[in-house]
Amino acid sequence: MDLRAGDSWGMLACLCTVLWHLPAVPALNRTGDPGPGPSIQKTYDLTRYLEHQLRSLAGTYLNYLGPPFNEPDFNPPRLGAETLPRATVNLEVWRSLNDKLRLTQNYEAYSHLLCYLRGLNRQAATAELRRSLAHFCTSLQGLLGSIAGVMAALGHPLPQPLPGTEPAWAPGPAHSDFLQKMDDFWLLKELQTWLWRSAKDFNRLKKKVQPPAAAVTLHLEAHGF
Amino acid sequence: MWMSKTWLVQAFFIFITTESIGKLLDPCGHISPESPVIQLGSNFTAVCVLKEKCMDNFHVNANYIVWKINHFTVPKEQYAILNRTASSVTFTNITALSVQLTCNILTFGQIEQNVYGITVISGLPPEKPKNLNCIVYEGKKMMCQWDPGRETYLETNFTLKSEWATEKFADCQTKRATPTTCIVDYSPVYFVNIEVWVEAENALGKVSSNHINFDPVDKVKPSPPRNLSVSNSEELSSILKLSWINPNIKSVIRLKYNIQYRIKDDSTWNQIPPEDTSTTRSSFTVQDLQPFTEYVFRMRCMKEDGKGFWSDWSEEASGITYEDRPSKAPSFWYKIDPSHTNGYRSVQLIWKTLSPFETNGRILDYEVTLTRWKSRLQNYTVNDTKLTVNLTNDRYIATLTARNLVGKSDPSVLTIPACDFQATRPVMDLKAFPKDNKLWVEWTAPNESVRKYILEWCVLSDKLPCILDWQQEDGTTHRTYLRAPSQGPMVRTKKVGKNEAVLEWDQLPVDVQNGFIRNYTIFYKTIIGNETAVNVDSSHTEYTLSSLTSDTLYMVRMVAYTDEGGKDGPEFTFTTPKFAQGEIEAIVVPVCLAILFTTLLGVLFCFNKRDLIKKHIWPNVPDPSKSHIAQWSPPTPPRHNFNSKDQMYSDSNFTDVSVVEIEPNDKKPLPDDLKSLDLFRKEKSGTEGHSSGIGGSSCMSSSRPSISSGDENESAQNTSSTVQYSTVVHSGYRHQVPSVQVFSRSESTQPLLDSEERPEDLQLIDNVDSGDNILPRQQYFKQNCSQQETSPDISQFERSKPASAVSEEDFVRHRQQQISDMVQSSGSGQLKGFQEVSAADAFGPGVEGQGERFETVGVAAVIDEGMPKSYLPQTVRQGGYVPQ
Repeated sequence: MDLRAGDSWGMLACLCTVLWHLPAVPALNRTGDPGPGPSIQKTYDLTRYLEHQLRSLAGTYLNYLGPPFNEPDFNPPRLGAETLPRATVNLEVWRSLNDKLRLTQNYEAYSHLLCYLRGLNRQAATAELRRSLAHFCTSLQGLLGSIAGVMAALGHPLPQPLPGTEPAWAPGPAHSDFLQKMDDFWLLKELQTWLWRSAKDFNRLKKKVQPPAAAVTLHLEAHGF
Repeated sequence: MWMSKTWLVQAFFIFITTESIGKLLDPCGHISPESPVIQLGSNFTAVCVLKEKCMDNFHVNANYIVWKINHFTVPKEQYAILNRTASSVTFTNITALSVQLTCNILTFGQIEQNVYGITVISGLPPEKPKNLNCIVYEGKKMMCQWDPGRETYLETNFTLKSEWATEKFADCQTKRATPTTCIVDYSPVYFVNIEVWVEAENALGKVSSNHINFDPVDKVKPSPPRNLSVSNSEELSSILKLSWINPNIKSVIRLKYNIQYRIKDDSTWNQIPPEDTSTTRSSFTVQDLQPFTEYVFRMRCMKEDGKGFWSDWSEEASGITYEDRPSKAPSFWYKIDPSHTNGYRSVQLIWKTLSPFETNGRILDYEVTLTRWKSRLQNYTVNDTKLTVNLTNDRYIATLTARNLVGKSDPSVLTIPACDFQATRPVMDLKAFPKDNKLWVEWTAPNESVRKYILEWCVLSDKLPCILDWQQEDGTTHRTYLRAPSQGPMVRTKKVGKNEAVLEWDQLPVDVQNGFIRNYTIFYKTIIGNETAVNVDSSHTEYTLSSLTSDTLYMVRMVAYTDEGGKDGPEFTFTTPKFAQGEIEAIVVPVCLAILFTTLLGVLFCFNKRDLIKKHIWPNVPDPSKSHIAQWSPPTPPRHNFNSKDQMYSDSNFTDVSVVEIEPNDKKPLPDDLKSLDLFRKEKSGTEGHSSGIGGSSCMSSSRPSISSGDENESAQNTSSTVQYSTVVHSGYRHQVPSVQVFSRSESTQPLLDSEERPEDLQLIDNVDSGDNILPRQQYFKQNCSQQETSPDISQFERSKPASAVSEEDFVRHRQQQISDMVQSSGSGQLKGFQEVSAADAFGPGVEGQGERFETVGVAAVIDEGMPKSYLPQTVRQGGYVPQ
């Protein structure tokens, strides 16, 4: 009886100690440094938000370009849009990308696309279209910052923009009006594909970074006994 | 003119201002600091420095400086002489918000002269703004607000700043009217953290609030759900399905909801447990509702994780649950007519309607079945709440069900005992007592189990017979109260008279009667008076209040009484009119008639006795103005109307002279008269201005310029009538025309007025004179007298149109043409030059029909030459003298 009582006292003391030290367990103390998890989640949400924004924006803009660009099955060859970063990539290649490369590609693609988009903004005719394009540009700027934030959190350096590759979307005399519209069309299409790809990228990253929270509890219980 | 005056005033003002500034520009010294803003409660020192020149001029130095604050001299203790030219003053703990501080010098003769003045403004530096918070309205811009802290008493600017880690956004400047809120100019980007803070700045300092860093999506206030609709289900009467359209933000964030509902006539909202609506959805089924009841719903939404703000409530939507079968069997009882004939008895089965909560739909009818021992069923379908059947003396079982669209209620079963049945265990200790405005009934339950109790009662009254009322109670209770109406009748006036008012009201609905209405009581009172009560039988729906006071405000309320008590209806006010209907007419009409009648009688009397009255009040005095010797109107062709009338004025120059030429012995009146006429015409200029003497003054000389002429009958008449009053001596021999005519005054004192004595003649003359327009003679005089007044018009006309150059007929035509032109062009308003001038003469009268002004005398002189016959003064329309 006595032995049992002493035993229980010991267990109680042990439990109390554990409870006392509980706030110090780093896995539970999430308030200090949230890690890259939330910012990746946020970036993922932002890509979805941009996808949503682009859906309505592209509809309006293609209508503004007029037929045949606003026809649903319009699929022109990619003529003048060679400078645009391509989102389509071989599945195997995509899978084999590491985090740093994945983020770098995203970052570079959006910096280029943003530049082109600003050129688009200057050409837009109606005030409403200009407004939504401006908002989309700001949002895309936000995405760039967000990706940069994730990269910083994961300890990757930001890719330095090469001065020679700075794209110039100058509507020169070489471009015919139709070709210009074609470029606009491809810009929007490429943006859509990139956002779709980014959503996948960040979803993958998110899953990778999420900590195994359940293990901590198990460990504590084992300690208690 | 006005403009130039304003300019002048402005220029003068500017001049004055410049002058004063010029004076200020060269002050005797100055104060430093120039325009200080200091913190409340702090110390402040100002220095006044005098100029050498000034000091020499006034023979002063810094010792002579006197400081004044708001025109009060500052005590010397606060001064400090810095050197010969400068004096300082120090104030400690300044509490006034704005003070005028002046530096003055005491010149010779203790005269204070102002040197310089400044305004010291005090306030507080801004406090750090607190509680900065932002809200993002869906689809709109972001609004932030904060607590500005204490009052600074100074103009304080707040600037809202926002930035991303990578980019700065434009500042948001607050508007003066809303210094604690600012709406940023851009739509915030969701999912990208933004840092926001606010800076407050005034003359005394600048401070910024704590920075807040948030994701705009966590501050979203979504738009409320749209198109909320409610549908019911035929299968389940206790559910309603809600569906709605989510706000657009649903595609970006997940939502949770609050759904509230209430019964339509209820005011309190019930909320569906939030955990049931914590995920994004577009429809929801609300359960556990009452059948056949209208519910009102509303909902709102917010971000699922609870960050952000609830949306506004959606628009309300309502729906009615489907019907269900009645939830309760109706109360059921019977009455037996005591008189029974040849083995049958008349039994009245009675039941009560279910309350709306129990019917669960609209009651279509009631089904009653009657079963006698081992005999077949008798079925009745009744719409009413009673059924009278003839039964034998046997025991019967009666059942009652209420039926609605969905189904039947449970049956109420009632045993109608046989005729010879004797109840053995009556209810004991039945007591009744009032409590809480109710009449309670209490009894002791018998030992056996009781299915239900029926309470029967009636009012004990000397006037009313005992009409039994009843109510059913559960077998488990042993006390209850008699149910009184829960609502009083709404009384209103049907007709309000001076001393009476007819009140009417509707029968109370059965649901609120809670028994039989035995009687109503109407209470009525004036504002100051006592309340009067009147009892009215329950069968009435109308009552006349009599012996009311007129023009008084009455308040009426009505109480419906069942046997247990009464309930007030709402109070109603009405005002009795001051006069009964038709009373005013009854007074006014006879009074008017009486006045009319009296007036008529008076007039009649006066008319009858007019001679008598005339004799007494109005003695016959001869009117010298109406005296004349002869009246004559020469025949004139109508086409000369205008001219002859024009002539009137020219003639009127001579009408002061009345010329009468009578040759009593003349055998050929016409040539002589013509001759005399010629003679008269020659004499015109000579006799001008001479009074005839008959009338007196020139204006009053004669109502009509009586110039005799050889006119046939009239002149004959007139001469014959006037000859006896005035003697005219034709001094020369008949063939020798004298150079001067002699007029002699009549010696007669008799009235000269033949017209006075013979009104017929006058009338005749007048009629003859002026076809349709008869003007009193007096008017002509007025015209004569007012000749001077009309002459400017004449000259004006003459100036505009030299009449002498135009022949008379041409002129007439021309004038007419002009007039018609005027009339035509008057619409377009194009009157110019000459036409404009003549329009003043011709157009006005032409339109307005004022004939007298039409003619001008200036023309008449011309016409006079060519038209010897029409020299007689005449007017066309209103002048009264139309040449015949």
